[in-house]
Amino acid sequence: MIANLLDRGADLVERADVCVIGSGAGGAVAAAELAAAGRKVVVLEQGHHWTARDFTQREDEMLPRLFEEGGMRMTRDASVTILQGRNIGGSTVHNLCYAFRTPDPILRMWREEHGLTGLSPEALEPSFQRVERQLRVKQIQEHQVNSLNRIVRAGAEELGYSGFVTRHNRENCIGAGYCILGCSYDAKMSMLVTYVPRADAAGAAIYAGARAERIEAEGGRVRRVLGSAVDLDGRPRASIEVQAPVVVLAAGAVASPDLLLRSGLGGDAVGRNLHLHPSVMAAGFFDDDLHAYRGIPQSYYIDQFIDLERDPHRGYVLMPIAGFPVMVATQLPGFGREHARRMRGFSKMAGLLVLLHDRTAGRVESGGALAKPKIGYRLEPDDARQLAEGLVHCAEVLFAGGAREVVIPYQPEPLVLARGDDPRAILERGVVQGEIPIASTHPQSTCRMGVDEAAGVVDPWGEVFGVRGLFVADMSVFPTSLGAPPQITTAALADRTAHHILARGSEPAA
Amino acid sequence: MASPPPPDFATSRRGFLRLAGSATALAALARIPAVPAAARAAARGAERQRFFDPEATRVLTAIVERMVDDGDPATPALADTRAIATVDALCGALDPALTEPLPLLLRLVEWGPPLFDLRFSRFTRLDPEGRDAALRGWMTSRFEVRRMGFGALRNLSMLGWYSQEESWPAIGYAGPLLDRQDPA
Repeated sequence: MIANLLDRGADLVERADVCVIGSGAGGAVAAAELAAAGRKVVVLEQGHHWTARDFTQREDEMLPRLFEEGGMRMTRDASVTILQGRNIGGSTVHNLCYAFRTPDPILRMWREEHGLTGLSPEALEPSFQRVERQLRVKQIQEHQVNSLNRIVRAGAEELGYSGFVTRHNRENCIGAGYCILGCSYDAKMSMLVTYVPRADAAGAAIYAGARAERIEAEGGRVRRVLGSAVDLDGRPRASIEVQAPVVVLAAGAVASPDLLLRSGLGGDAVGRNLHLHPSVMAAGFFDDDLHAYRGIPQSYYIDQFIDLERDPHRGYVLMPIAGFPVMVATQLPGFGREHARRMRGFSKMAGLLVLLHDRTAGRVESGGALAKPKIGYRLEPDDARQLAEGLVHCAEVLFAGGAREVVIPYQPEPLVLARGDDPRAILERGVVQGEIPIASTHPQSTCRMGVDEAAGVVDPWGEVFGVRGLFVADMSVFPTSLGAPPQITTAALADRTAHHILARGSEPAA
Repeated sequence: MASPPPPDFATSRRGFLRLAGSATALAALARIPAVPAAARAAARGAERQRFFDPEATRVLTAIVERMVDDGDPATPALADTRAIATVDALCGALDPALTEPLPLLLRLVEWGPPLFDLRFSRFTRLDPEGRDAALRGWMTSRFEVRRMGFGALRNLSMLGWYSQEESWPAIGYAGPLLDRQDPA
């Protein structure tokens, strides 16, 4: 049963074996695995239940529906925009379907430096296999590589940079290109069309518009979750109480620590160690139409500048990116005729972004208002330097791919490079927060996994230290920045946590 | 002929400080990647939903016209689109903490030429070049809060304009496939 709580018109009081908070890459997997094993599962998702018929392919309609805080979640200083899903299916509904397993060197680093000896590729293999089967992960075929990704690949190959065509989780994709606005064709194998229906079929009660506001524990055991049924604007309309001896918190690396902090659970490390995979982008303008927004948005991946075997702590990747008119117009600097002149190149434009494997550690703190935590993040100098270097390489790749002009969108005055200009001019301006748009779609590590309370918030199985039965199963458990697209890692770790819960047997009733 | 500032701007410093106090909200509007409006659906009923009063709407319209001006006489006039209604609807739907400073910001832009540029004319009485110069003054101001204000108005303008189908032919955007009979 998938229901909008407001449709019930009454307060909700339920008893369950497991209450799952969040329905994205972590929560949906945990809910489905636990429900399929016969546990009575209640899922609370504060966002709403949008489906393919609601996905109109229009920016002005979809962005406020699908993103936390209407797409305006930002760091405190407004220098980094943080895009997270707020709907049944979470961020998997708007993500671009990169489907990478956790890099082996990252797992090795987590074992050797963080003592998480159980996180080996072999130990995770069953979880990876289950997740990839459900999400129909497969190699992107050559004919599915669109014009944007082809020119980025051509540029990389011209320069001798390492890159590859990736795997993804799509089935019968027609290449419309509106993935970031939700798939109107149910071709994206997001949680919305895979694990959520599986949890539903197994008997889970999945409530949309259900905001968890407090987790209560007694005697070192989790007891219940309290919250509100909320309308589309987040206004509370009715109360929620779910009594459960097991709670799986999977609200994402901003909301999960916020909820723990509000509940007074989880120790001093909650909310610390925030990594963002921050990204900055360069826009290349070409002579011919590319219509980069059509087709699979991201299929090629440049990994020349990250060598996790050599150094698992730093590096960055380059990823193609396209946008729709409003997105592009707000990213391009300036106004009036100069801005309009660049917008006339919209169909000739290709974006390339730098995504950083960051060491900067930010922090999530509970704010004054529910569901609007304070997020602090100031780039360390080495991270800022790498982002600037990455922009230089973006410009090189775009020029090598045939661009006649590359724009680095510093505000208010962009840096405009013509073919033949030295891209190292970017290094003089660098990456300074507030002077160039920075975005994050991968906040992580705010309830990180560790061997004890001094090292983390949760144990190697995702259970919060000191609160039996309370698990975290989202990107916030990553001990460090992942350095790769996180969807599969998040889902696999949630699968592993769910099977650990099952193996441990029933908990005493709440 | 210069017009005297209205009474509430006789103490412009106080108004400026109020604006500065709203810096976070302005910053948010200035930097959101797509100023994700609640917009189009709300805009359909926008005649009833007036976030901006008529005077503010007049100033906003003058700003948006310059922000999205492309110099092409073939481009549809702003008044022939729902761009302003879309912005109005968006602002009516966003968190009030974010939009509360906007009316004040519009008044500051209107009275900015005498306040900041020593020009004896309101913004809406300047010619197009004068309006562009005034906006550029906001864009490049040494005061961060003015730059934020500019960014907020710029992003609202871009959202209002580029969410309109009328703006798409000029940039070569074919529009949503769902709206087309020939999605191939």
